[in-house]
Amino acid sequence: MKKWISSLVIPAMAAAALTGCSGKTPGETAKGQEGQSSPSAAPKEVAYPAKLSYWVAMNANVAATMKSFNEMGVYQELQKRTGTVVDFQHPPVGQHNDQFNLLLASGQLPDVIEHTWAAVSKGPDNAIKEKKILRLNELIDAHAPNLSKILKDDPELKKQIMTDEGNIYVFPYFSKEEFQRVYNGPAIRKDWLDKLKLPVPQTIDEWEKTLTAIRDGDPNGNGKKDEVPLLLDLKVMDFGHAFIGAYGITSGFYQDQGKVKFGPIQPEFKEFLTVMNRWYKEGLIDKDFATMDQKLKDAKMTGNLVGAMAMNVGAGLGSYTSLMKPKYPDFNLVGVPYPALKQGGMSVGQMNAPFIGTGAAISANAKNPEQIVKWLDYAYGPEGHLLFNYGIEGQSYTMVNGKPTLTKEITTSPTNLPVSQAIAKYSHGSFSGPYVVDKGLTEQFSPEPFQKQAIETWMKADHAKLLPSLTLTSQESSEMSSSMNDIKTYYSEMVNKFIMGMEPIDSFDKYVGTIQKMGIDKVIQTQQKALERLNKRS
Amino acid sequence: MSASTSVPRERVARRYRQPSYARRLWRDIRINRHVYIMLLPVVAYYLIFHYGPIYGVQIAFKAFSPTRGFLGSPWVGFDYFKDFFNSYYFGRLLKNTLLLSLYELLFAFPAAVVLALLLNEVRRSSFKRLVQTVTYLPHFISIVIISGMLIDFLSRDGLVNQLLTWTGREPAAFLSDPAWFRTVYIASGIWQNVGWGSIIYLAAISAIDPTLYEAAKVDGAGRFRQVLNVTIPGILPTVIIMLILQIGSFMAVGTDKILLLYNSSTYETADVIGTYVYRRGILDSDFSYSAAVGLFNSVINFALLILANRLSRRYTETKLW
Repeated sequence: MKKWISSLVIPAMAAAALTGCSGKTPGETAKGQEGQSSPSAAPKEVAYPAKLSYWVAMNANVAATMKSFNEMGVYQELQKRTGTVVDFQHPPVGQHNDQFNLLLASGQLPDVIEHTWAAVSKGPDNAIKEKKILRLNELIDAHAPNLSKILKDDPELKKQIMTDEGNIYVFPYFSKEEFQRVYNGPAIRKDWLDKLKLPVPQTIDEWEKTLTAIRDGDPNGNGKKDEVPLLLDLKVMDFGHAFIGAYGITSGFYQDQGKVKFGPIQPEFKEFLTVMNRWYKEGLIDKDFATMDQKLKDAKMTGNLVGAMAMNVGAGLGSYTSLMKPKYPDFNLVGVPYPALKQGGMSVGQMNAPFIGTGAAISANAKNPEQIVKWLDYAYGPEGHLLFNYGIEGQSYTMVNGKPTLTKEITTSPTNLPVSQAIAKYSHGSFSGPYVVDKGLTEQFSPEPFQKQAIETWMKADHAKLLPSLTLTSQESSEMSSSMNDIKTYYSEMVNKFIMGMEPIDSFDKYVGTIQKMGIDKVIQTQQKALERLNKRS
Repeated sequence: MSASTSVPRERVARRYRQPSYARRLWRDIRINRHVYIMLLPVVAYYLIFHYGPIYGVQIAFKAFSPTRGFLGSPWVGFDYFKDFFNSYYFGRLLKNTLLLSLYELLFAFPAAVVLALLLNEVRRSSFKRLVQTVTYLPHFISIVIISGMLIDFLSRDGLVNQLLTWTGREPAAFLSDPAWFRTVYIASGIWQNVGWGSIIYLAAISAIDPTLYEAAKVDGAGRFRQVLNVTIPGILPTVIIMLILQIGSFMAVGTDKILLLYNSSTYETADVIGTYVYRRGILDSDFSYSAAVGLFNSVINFALLILANRLSRRYTETKLW
């Protein structure tokens, strides 16, 4: 056995030995006898729970081939190893936010609720105060040795997953490496550029020329002027910041040298709108952008109509390529640099914070929280780490030179599934969950060179302006949600109108005035305070 | 109410002649018990789904927190109502809700009556049946599907715009231009419901005494005169009852359909109280606030219903109660 593996496995076996003592899982006892005795025994060891209920949004990668997380290899294997029977409850895809709110209102909470708790209205501290979920600090200390160790080794992580009131509210989804957190950016049809003899555009001006050429040059060669040069999706822009980032702002909150600002009321936003309005008028962006949904986007992309679009590396670059390659062998969609305003300039890009408030919380009605904590902690141990990231050895991965390596079945799926869907049959690797993402997985996860190249290209952007995930007090967040609701409605309405030219750009000042009247200044102050608290946290 | 002076004496007289109401009801139940058993599910439905939830309306006056429950949450009085009346969108929401309802009343409501009158004049019964089937089929399609079809038809390169460009006209942004929303909403509503709505009027027409038509013919009335002087007066009570019912749900425009059809660029004309309640209540889990807004909506509905009934009672002989 390789040294690396044994160093992982021995402590895990020791842990297994302890479980064995509780007598709940006969399989574990036999394993335990082989292991060494454990030096660090917790004060009172608990067993894995016999069963638990678990609410989590259905992920699109899973939904593509399965109906429930129970069908995933990772949870089937986890059940074998821990003996815990999990009753998964999934809201329909796309409705998890509504359903989550209804779930909380109903008061009948399942044992574990996986969600982006930081984004919950009134925040996680309030959820703890209102006795919806448990404060986990003490439970983690006592019953989650794996997570405790991670937190002890990485104080920065601990700082991020704690609220201002010092609560840990979830078993976190955590990705350390920048490489794992950049996954969205602009992409363009390189084959079309080559056909039109154009270089990859770098600045907004060059983009305008390129898009015009795509509009007029009939690169899809059907003799019709039906190309959509740029498929603009404002929702993607909101988190990826392509195009708007060129102006050094985002369409939401960002920080400028430690000061929080709201992009849509900055003067730069007016410049951005002016350009977008021109592009719309010229037919460079899709006329239907305001009513765009995923289905329509996919239809246009696979209809060989779209020249450029901001998209994700897996469910975007990867899936479109695997869909289009068979029909159009020349199809070459590549990730390109975030356009800057000037040559050599930097755009704000997309990069998630290592922890964005997503993870598995334990509801306050759970009868056996200690056992559930122990069960959740499994994913943070060495064996669990492999299981949650890579799935099942021999099926979804094999050990090559001591490194877990995805099998052919995953990387070049015989049923033509994109990697993100193929791996979802076995592991959590392609989407969030209560575990730490393995660096090596992300590297393999985008196995095609063009995907790796895209991520590397997108990483070259300005990430200093992005805000870390802030926690607000319950008072703050209830005040904020009330003004932000009006502001968001007004903003999304006006942006469309400005771009489509239904509202002249000249009324930008009036628009800013309205947003200020709706109370944006107070919201910015609140965010500022939260940012300062986070920076001061230790 | 008009004969109010004579009522007491009549009642006194009746009391001596007839057993009490309860006894009569009981006897009726014994005799017609099967009918009453059939009534039970309906009564249960209303009790459970329409009267039961009234208890929860109190959260409109409370700072509701799911963990504290209905009774435990503190009272805040009319705060949420004040917030709503002072909110930036109050005027627009009210206007959109009222206008969509008004247009529905002006265009969709008469459409069914007109269709029924026209169908009644069709002599070939095979053609009449065909028209009826075609017009009422859309009623059975789920609103989700209908909206999906509308989005497909009305998108930039959809069927309607292709027809427009084919006839040499400019394509229109039906779904992202606020100026189009009301037209799209009302027109598609007519398309979906006109056939179904006309059934009740056709039934009313078939109940008109044929001798009236014969008499009209003898008096020398042509087809048009017959419609005007016999058919229309004949179905008028039905029309008025339907109108009162419609007014009773005046403010309850089809929130689900709007939710499926609107987007942020059409909020200006499409956002109604119902959709606002959905966004605030379900998406932002602001339950108390949205309950207050919803209650406000229902109170207006209730007032309009009473008003409509009173007006109808005064000016026509027809009334709901």
